[in-house]
Amino acid sequence: MSSLNTFAELLETAERTGLPLDAIFLDQEASERELPRERVFQTFRERWAVMKDSVRRGLAGGRSFSGLVGGDARKVIEFTRGGDIAGGHLVARAIAYSIAVLEENSRMGIIVAAPTAGAAGMVPGTLLAISEEKGFDDEFAARGLVVAGGFGALVAAKAELSGAAGGCQAEQGVGASMAAGALTFLLGGTPRASVHAAALTLQNTLGLACDPVAGLVEVPCVVRNGFTAMLALAGAQTALAGVESVIPMDEVVEAMVKIGEAMPRSLKETADGGLAMTPTGCRIRNELYQIR
Amino acid sequence: MISLLDIVGPVMVGPSSSHTAGACRLARVARALLEEEPREARFELHSAFAKTMRGHGTDRALAAGTLGMEVDDPRLKDALEIAREGGLVFAFKPKNMGPEAHPNSVAIHLKGDSRSLSVLGASIGGGMIEIREVDGFPVALSARHPCVLLFYEDRPGMVMRASEIIGRRGINIASMEVLRRGKGDEAFMRVDLDAPLPPEDVEALKRIPGVRRVHVLDRVAGGAPIT
Repeated sequence: MSSLNTFAELLETAERTGLPLDAIFLDQEASERELPRERVFQTFRERWAVMKDSVRRGLAGGRSFSGLVGGDARKVIEFTRGGDIAGGHLVARAIAYSIAVLEENSRMGIIVAAPTAGAAGMVPGTLLAISEEKGFDDEFAARGLVVAGGFGALVAAKAELSGAAGGCQAEQGVGASMAAGALTFLLGGTPRASVHAAALTLQNTLGLACDPVAGLVEVPCVVRNGFTAMLALAGAQTALAGVESVIPMDEVVEAMVKIGEAMPRSLKETADGGLAMTPTGCRIRNELYQIR
Repeated sequence: MISLLDIVGPVMVGPSSSHTAGACRLARVARALLEEEPREARFELHSAFAKTMRGHGTDRALAAGTLGMEVDDPRLKDALEIAREGGLVFAFKPKNMGPEAHPNSVAIHLKGDSRSLSVLGASIGGGMIEIREVDGFPVALSARHPCVLLFYEDRPGMVMRASEIIGRRGINIASMEVLRRGKGDEAFMRVDLDAPLPPEDVEALKRIPGVRRVHVLDRVAGGAPIT
């Protein structure tokens, strides 16, 4: 099997072979690693188990290393249990679970980067929320995880996935877009709908700056994972309804790369601009590092 | 295509895949290249790496990698204390490497009992890394494939002798790079392989007349571990 490099090639392969997206990606990975397909899938099962565990640990609470964040995932879940909800249980859980992973990350707990640590929330958060809502088992969820990984790998073929190179769009934008593709797959969408879900989601994060307060993966990263999880749900919902992205996914990725290049360094993980340099952001940094 | 397991992964200690996991892997590669227990470690950090070092635990992660820890080792959190207790001498300092350098660049200088080694590397996102210099030789090393590095005297026939040993084993060469400081001076060869080279072949490479040292890296040092 020749190596896939673009979403256009992925769709062409899916339409020609009639194979589901997870099978195409698993075949690819197995052939490049010269390993049996089942062995590769087993690793995805294991990573899904770690992801679920990181949600559970995150919801248990506790403050971050710096003391700046923690406990917000729990607040969202408890508020939802009281029946007071703005957007339904699925939405509330997706937000809470995504934030939970990032809270665990901020405590130097064990998480699975997806595609990065600062964007590790959306994929497990949305996949776990939809699995609970629809009664999907772990085996099926792990298939969704394969699709998420495949989508991320195709983006990474063209773009560096780091805030330092491309801003937050290259981390949480890509994470949300991976989640959107996987959700659409799990909900029975066509490969074409999955790719459009990813494109619609990614294009709505373009330009997102990486401006972490005091340089920590905490503010705005932790809560933002809950918000970008919403974009993933919106991407799946619209694409399943037949909405298509006018700009094809491969071109959205190229636009993301160019925007990342055009962004000033101060907005690319240096903590020299944006929220990091607000009066409150500076005060927090000075207190944490005892700068006078 | 980039591995799916590099995207949904690594399983790691937080908080940053590029500044924690990537940093740990860069130091692990430096340690693997040194091939003995490091006694001294000096780190020079550029741009984003320097600015957010403490907040992302980059210092702990570099120490952890130097000690040989994996990115999901819960002891990574306490690596500075563990290093200190173990007698490792270490220091971190910021260094401006210029506008061309990757913002997440680090120069790692390690010293063991019998040798020392310098590596310049970059953490390029999601925990993926690239080694850009080994002892001053420019390289492009992802540590995602099994790889052999040879330092040797520049003389005719070296590429042929090395590739013959590898080819005899039936191992495919994925890519290859040959450089030298000057004609007849020290030369360097990087060979990426589709499968790891057995130890007896590594020994055979070391016995080629003119070869000064041979380093072996497997993909576990920097890529997605799977067995």
